[in-house]
Amino acid sequence: MAVDVETVAISLPRRTAASPWRQALRRFSRQRSAIAGLLIIGTMILVAIFAPLIAPYDPEQVLLGIEDVGKRAPPCVHLLGCDEMQSQHIMGVDGNFRDQFSRVVYGTRVSLFIGFITVAVAMLAGVLLGAVAGYLGGWVEDVIMRILDVQLAFPFLLLAIAIVSVLGPGLMNAMLGIAIVTIPQYARVIRAGILATKEEEYAAAARAIGSSHPRILFRHILPNAISPLIVQGTLGIGIAILDVAALSFLGLGAQPPTPEWGSMLSSERNQVFSAPHLVFFPGMAIMLAVLGFNLLGDGLRDALDPRLKQ
Amino acid sequence: MYVVGTHWRRQAALLLLLALFLPILAACGGQQGAAPEAPTEATEPTTETEAEAPTAADAEEEPTEADAEEEPTEETAAAEGDLLVVSAPDCEYGGILQEIAAIDEMTVQFTMCRPDPAFPVKAAFVPFSIQPSEHLEATDGSPLENPVGTGPYMVDTWDRGEQVVYSRFADYWGDPAQTETLVFRWSAEAAQRLLELQTGTVDAIDNPAPDDFVNAEEDENLQLIERAPLNIFYVGMNNTYPPFDNEQVRQAIAMGIDRRRIVDNFYPPGSSVATHFTPCAIPNACVGEEWYEYDPERARELLAEAGYPEGFETEIAYRDVVRSYLPEPGVVAQDLQAQLAEIGITTEINVMESGAFIAAADAGELEGLHLLGWNADYPDMTNFVDFHFGAGASQQFGEKFEDITSTLQEAASLADNEERRPLYEEANNLIKEHAPMVPIANGGSAVVYQADVAGAHASPLSNEYFAVVQPGERDTFVWMQNAEPISLYCADETDGESLRACEQVLEGLLRYEVGGTEVEPALATACEPSDDLTVWTCSLREGVMFHDGSELDANDVVMSWAVQWDASHPLHVGNTGAFTYFSALWGGFINEEGGDAAE
Repeated sequence: MAVDVETVAISLPRRTAASPWRQALRRFSRQRSAIAGLLIIGTMILVAIFAPLIAPYDPEQVLLGIEDVGKRAPPCVHLLGCDEMQSQHIMGVDGNFRDQFSRVVYGTRVSLFIGFITVAVAMLAGVLLGAVAGYLGGWVEDVIMRILDVQLAFPFLLLAIAIVSVLGPGLMNAMLGIAIVTIPQYARVIRAGILATKEEEYAAAARAIGSSHPRILFRHILPNAISPLIVQGTLGIGIAILDVAALSFLGLGAQPPTPEWGSMLSSERNQVFSAPHLVFFPGMAIMLAVLGFNLLGDGLRDALDPRLKQ
Repeated sequence: MYVVGTHWRRQAALLLLLALFLPILAACGGQQGAAPEAPTEATEPTTETEAEAPTAADAEEEPTEADAEEEPTEETAAAEGDLLVVSAPDCEYGGILQEIAAIDEMTVQFTMCRPDPAFPVKAAFVPFSIQPSEHLEATDGSPLENPVGTGPYMVDTWDRGEQVVYSRFADYWGDPAQTETLVFRWSAEAAQRLLELQTGTVDAIDNPAPDDFVNAEEDENLQLIERAPLNIFYVGMNNTYPPFDNEQVRQAIAMGIDRRRIVDNFYPPGSSVATHFTPCAIPNACVGEEWYEYDPERARELLAEAGYPEGFETEIAYRDVVRSYLPEPGVVAQDLQAQLAEIGITTEINVMESGAFIAAADAGELEGLHLLGWNADYPDMTNFVDFHFGAGASQQFGEKFEDITSTLQEAASLADNEERRPLYEEANNLIKEHAPMVPIANGGSAVVYQADVAGAHASPLSNEYFAVVQPGERDTFVWMQNAEPISLYCADETDGESLRACEQVLEGLLRYEVGGTEVEPALATACEPSDDLTVWTCSLREGVMFHDGSELDANDVVMSWAVQWDASHPLHVGNTGAFTYFSALWGGFINEEGGDAAE
C-alpha cells in the first residue's frame, strides 16, 4: 500500500489550486469594463489626494479684484489658442468669480468622502442588523426585517429628504439621511448570506466545540458571507454620491460655498444656456464617478461569484 | 402550544406594526379629531363648486350679526337701516382709521384718527379690493381660490401646481379684456421661463435672469421691457440677538459690505446701488445723508470697539427665490459671505424654504443676517419706511426704534411733500445711524413678451395688467411668472405673485394706471378729502357688476374693509389671518385679543 501511495503521488501533476481570492482577481482582470471602472476610481482617488497640487486656486477663492476675469467666463486654455494675456481657467469661471476647475477637483474629495462614509455607516448598521437577524432567526428576525421592510416601503429619496428636513440642511445630515435609507439594502444582503452559510459544516463544527454565538457569527459565518456585501457596497458608493448630489441640488445637502458637484450644478442651473460649461463639468464629474463605481461593482460581482468560475 | 406560540408572535408582529405606523400617521396629520390650530387651505373649500354652493339661505345662516349681538365688542359694527357702519370706539388702538361708513347706497366715508394724505395711494392697492359681502359670508371670510371681483377677468379654474385660467368678464364696466382667456403659469427657473417663451408656449415671462437680458434684447422674436427699479434689496439684522444688539456691530457690517461690487457684478442693467432704504424715484426717499461708504478698515475698528476684534460667527439666511430686487440670491449670498470674511465675520449660509423664511423673518426669529427686499406696492414713502420701521412693522429687525417710529408717524400725517421732507430727512438719518439693515441695491428687472404682443408693458409696481394686451391673433394670453399664487384672497397675502394674479380679477375704489404709479378712479369715481384730510368720501361708480351678477354697493365696500380691520369679526379669517398689509398700512386692527394692535 505504501508503494502505491507513493506512486500515485509522483504520478499526479504538481498543481496547487489557486485561492478563491486569487481566482477572483484573475476573473476581475479579464473584464475590461471592470478595469475601466477601477481606472476611473483610481484616478479620482489620486485627484482627491493630490487636489491641492492639481488645483491652481483655492476652490472658495473669489477672483474678483485679484484677476481680470469675467463672471461665468468660458474655459480658457492657452494650448487651445486662448489669449496668453488672459488668465487660464480650463473649465471657466463660475458666477462668483471662482475657478471652476479647482472646484471640480476639490469636489472629487467631497464626493468620494461622501460615498465612502455614507456607505460605511449604512453598511455597519446594515451588517449588524442583517447578521443578527439571519443568525438568530425567530422573532428577532421577524422584528428586524419587518421594520426594515416598512422602511423600504417609503420612496427612497423622499424618505431621505424627510430625514434631512427634520435634521436640517447640511452635508453631514444629507449623508446621514442617505445612510439611514440604505441600511435595509445591506441588511437584506447580509442576512441572505448568513442564512446560506450558517448551516455550513464549519459553523456546525464551531458550535460543536462550544464557541460563543458572537464568535461563530463574526469569526466563522460573516467572513464567508461578505462577498455580496462588497459588491453591494461598491455599487452603493456611486448611488450615495448621486443621491447626495441630488439632495445638494435641492439645497438640502452641501451648503455654499462647499465645492460639491450637486450644489455646483444647482447654483448654475439657470445658466444652462448662457454658460453651459458651468453645469457640464460638474455633471460630467458626477457621471464619471457613478459610472466608475458601477463598472467596478459589476466587475466585482462577476469576479466574486463562484458560479461564474467557468 | 405550537399554535399558541404562533398566535402570540402574530399578535406581537401586528402590535409592532401598529406601533410603527401610528407615529407616522400622527406625523402626517392623520389623527382623528385633532382640530387644526388655524384655518388652512386644506380646510377651506377647494373647488368652485364647493365655494359657490352656499345659497342665500346659507348666507342668512351665517352667525355674523347674531354673534355680534350675543358678544358685544368695543367696536360698533351695526347696520343702520341697510347701511353698514364700522367704527373704532376711539383712536387709542393705534391705527389710523376711525370709522368706515356707508353714507348712502353709493357713497362710503372713511374717517381717520389723523390726517392721512396717502389714503388714495393706499386704497388703490389690491389687498383693499372689493368683493360682494354675500360672497365673503358664503366663503366664511376666506375666498382663497374663488374670488368674486369686478375686474375684466374672472377666475375660471385653478389647477393647483399647474395653472390659473381666467375668462373674460362680459359685463365689465370698463374696456373689455383684449383676449378671451388669460392663463397664469409659473416656474422658479429663469432658464425654463425663457425657454418656454422662445419656444412659444407662453406669451410673456417675468424676471429673465440677468445674463439673459442681452439674449432677449437681441432676439427679434422677443421684446424686453425693463421695469423701473422701485424696490430695495437689503441685508437685515435683528437687534434682539447678539452681536446685532450692538449698534457698532451693525454699523460695521454696513461699512464692511462693498455694495457697488454686488450691483456691478450680480445685477442686470438698470440696477443701482441704494443710497437710502427707499428708491429715489419716490418723493422724499433720498433726502438726508447717503448710506455709509465701503470702508473695511473702519468696519474692523468698529468691530474691535464693540468687543469683537476677532470678528464673530453668524449665518446668512435667505430663500432661493428670484425677485426683481434679488435676481441671483445664491450668488449674492456667497459674495456677501466672502466679503464679510474679509472683516473677520465668518458666516454659514442657510437656504430656507420661502414661506418659512418670511414667517421667521416677520416673527423676528432669524438670529443672523438675512437677505430680503421689498417691491413698491404704491409710490409713497409710507410703503417702504412705515412698513419696515413704523409702529405697525413686523419683528424683522427686532425692537422698534422709538425715534424712527415717532418721526415716521409725524411725517405720515402731513399732506404736503415739502412739509414732510425734513421729517423724512431725519428718519433717513436715524435709519442710517441705527443701521437695522444695510440697503444694497435697487434691482432692475424686466418683462419679456413675444414680439407680436400689443399693449406690452412692465409696471414699476410689478402689477402688470393683462386685460390690455393682445397676443397677435391668438385668443389666449399665457403669462409665466416666478411662482404660483399662494391664494387669490389678496387681503391676506403679501406675495407679489399672488397680488399680480389678483389684479386681473379684483378692483378697489381706486387703482394705479397701467404700467405706472399714478392713482386713477376705479370702483369709485372719486375719493374726496375733507380740508383737514381726516375724512375721505368716495362716490361709487354706478352699474358696476360683480362676477356673480350682483351689483356693487356701499355695504360691499364697508364689509370688504371691515373683515380686515376688525380682528373679532367672524369673517376675519383670510388665509393665515395675518392681514399684514392692513395692519402695516392702516396701523393695526380693532378688537385684537390682548390689547392694541400697535404700540
